[in-house]
Amino acid sequence: MLNALRTFLLAAVAAATLAVPAFAQAPIKIGVLTPLSPPGDAAAGQFIVRGAKMAAEEINGQGGVLGGRKIELIVEDDAGTPEKGAAGLRKLVSQDHVVAVVGQFHSSVTEAVQDLAEQLKVPVFLTQASAKKLTEKHLTYTFRTHVIDPDRVTLWNKWIQQQGFKRVAILAENTDYGVGLVEETKKQFASMNVKADLKTIIFDRAVVDLTPQLLEIKNWKPDLFINVGIGTPMYLISKQAYDVGLVPATPMLISYDAPARPEYWKNLGEKGTYATFIVYYHPTMKLTPRGEAFRTRYLEQFKEQPVYGGLNAYAQVMLVADAINAAKSDKPDDIVKALLGTKFTGWNGTVAFTRGEGPYWQQWTPPMLFLQYGKPEQPFTEAKIVYPPELKTGDLMMAPKR
Amino acid sequence: MDAYLLSQYVLSGLVIGLIYSLMAIGITFIYGIMKMINWSMGEFYMIGSYVQYALLATVLGWDLWYLALPLAMASVFLLGIVVQRFLLRPMYLGGLERRDEYATIITIALMVLFRNLAIVLGGPNQFSPKDYARATSLLTLPISGNRMVALVGTVVLLLLFYVLTRKTWVGRAFRGAAQNRVGIQTAGVDVLRLDMLAFGVGVALAAAAGALLAPDFLVYPENGAISTFKGFEIIVIGGLGSLMGSVVGGLLLGLIEALGSVFLSPGYKDLYGFVLLLGLLAFRPTGLFGERERTV
Repeated sequence: MLNALRTFLLAAVAAATLAVPAFAQAPIKIGVLTPLSPPGDAAAGQFIVRGAKMAAEEINGQGGVLGGRKIELIVEDDAGTPEKGAAGLRKLVSQDHVVAVVGQFHSSVTEAVQDLAEQLKVPVFLTQASAKKLTEKHLTYTFRTHVIDPDRVTLWNKWIQQQGFKRVAILAENTDYGVGLVEETKKQFASMNVKADLKTIIFDRAVVDLTPQLLEIKNWKPDLFINVGIGTPMYLISKQAYDVGLVPATPMLISYDAPARPEYWKNLGEKGTYATFIVYYHPTMKLTPRGEAFRTRYLEQFKEQPVYGGLNAYAQVMLVADAINAAKSDKPDDIVKALLGTKFTGWNGTVAFTRGEGPYWQQWTPPMLFLQYGKPEQPFTEAKIVYPPELKTGDLMMAPKR
Repeated sequence: MDAYLLSQYVLSGLVIGLIYSLMAIGITFIYGIMKMINWSMGEFYMIGSYVQYALLATVLGWDLWYLALPLAMASVFLLGIVVQRFLLRPMYLGGLERRDEYATIITIALMVLFRNLAIVLGGPNQFSPKDYARATSLLTLPISGNRMVALVGTVVLLLLFYVLTRKTWVGRAFRGAAQNRVGIQTAGVDVLRLDMLAFGVGVALAAAAGALLAPDFLVYPENGAISTFKGFEIIVIGGLGSLMGSVVGGLLLGLIEALGSVFLSPGYKDLYGFVLLLGLLAFRPTGLFGERERTV
């Protein structure tokens, strides 16, 4: 009996001794909180997870951070709803003990998440959430490496002026993103002295039949139609606008980069032709060595061009890892200090977070381009850049009459 | 107001209202026979759209949508029979005594289960079958070929449903069960087996709506939510348990939404149906064609 007890005690001491170095090498956890199921834009979330995972693999393949600790990603689905986003963040911080969270996509979700992150004192990264107010609040733990709505609106207003459009209609979903873009466009139409009439309709994101709204817009006879739907609503607007005869006769601008994804043509077929859309990445862009290495690995692994969401999530995980190394600590407050005091290599340039005025607070903005598909099933790589003028590879094509 | 535009709105409202009434008939038919609300109706709509898409994308090819439609309905009919036999039948104690809360819990659980199964099996993304027909016009309204097919399909299914319930032996049994579940048993009808059939037919109608609208409203795990919503609105307007009420309620809802969009704002299209519903309930709580139930 005594021998058995002694053996047990020895084994316990040995196990405890072995556990000490293991604990010292415990992985550092980074959360990925992103939409992976409806009503969120789940396709976007999948690309974000893909990019984040590739970053973690790369970091771990190079020996990890802080002298050998691995990065472990914890993925949570926010489903594009604020309540699930807040619950996901609470779980990531209190249960999984993540040191930072990347992957925020929907602005409405981010608004709930960032307030909670402030209370829980953990940095959150906005991967594709662009509402102006998110960084305008000047929160300590919110960082964004994505465009903000005023810049998006400024660019499309300049395009409207350059093209000479006289009647512009916007159909926008009733989210922070959609409503924010409508408000900003109205404001900037006045401040930029855009000489065009503007008609705006906001619809409930849950609605699937948008025929009455589109008929009203069609009968108003716009010469530019801006589609401000995200995920399913973007496709519903595009399909139904074609069916009522609004597009492609009237040029349509899609407010974000969903058409760059492979499922665009599967969902829209020929109805997607002649659409113009905003992207933040184009395969002809010159990237940093880090971005170039990612693009090469991505092409090898998935046999397709990377999508911006993936690139941005990849760069965000890389810069969290860089910040951990710079801070020599995995404590969220030390990471925040390092993020503010260090310059990082992003996917297409140097990223630095400064505390500027208004929405330019802990904000880094990628470039924006307007692309247009000129024929059905056209690969993303072949879409023409129609704006801005200095990067243009083609003029805006008008659709022939149906 | 431009009369041309007004006619477009009215037509568009009537078309979508009639298509939604297919969903409402499914809900009200199941209620009429089984005296239970099927809260997972939207998920049967969703399954119908997935089966349609899967058949077209893998087995039949995009042009044979008219073959995929009855197959999608038949698959969901069979699924409905299985659900009724194994999950809903225990609701009845001895064929008569009904535990209402049981059906509510089971159908809400099914709603969650089916949605999550769709995400697990098909992924969270949207899918779209290729167009069933080329875009056309209905009087003044430019309409997608898919919407036109859905409209014609709905009319055909409503006629078939009318024939089933009015001109066949099983239809008489359905109507008997709707009037008196005890009485129908004294006539030698196995009412629990009849329930199985009724549930299958009801969910197959939802599946038909899902399959018909798949190219226009897309295929994704939550696509049944809005049509269920409309279906319930329609049956309250038309009167719970009334088949005629479902059709008239659907047309009325479509019309009100269209007129509200013209004269008020298209941005609040979904609000107008609820205003109608609340107004109607205040003056006629049983709906347009519903009757106050009398029990002894």
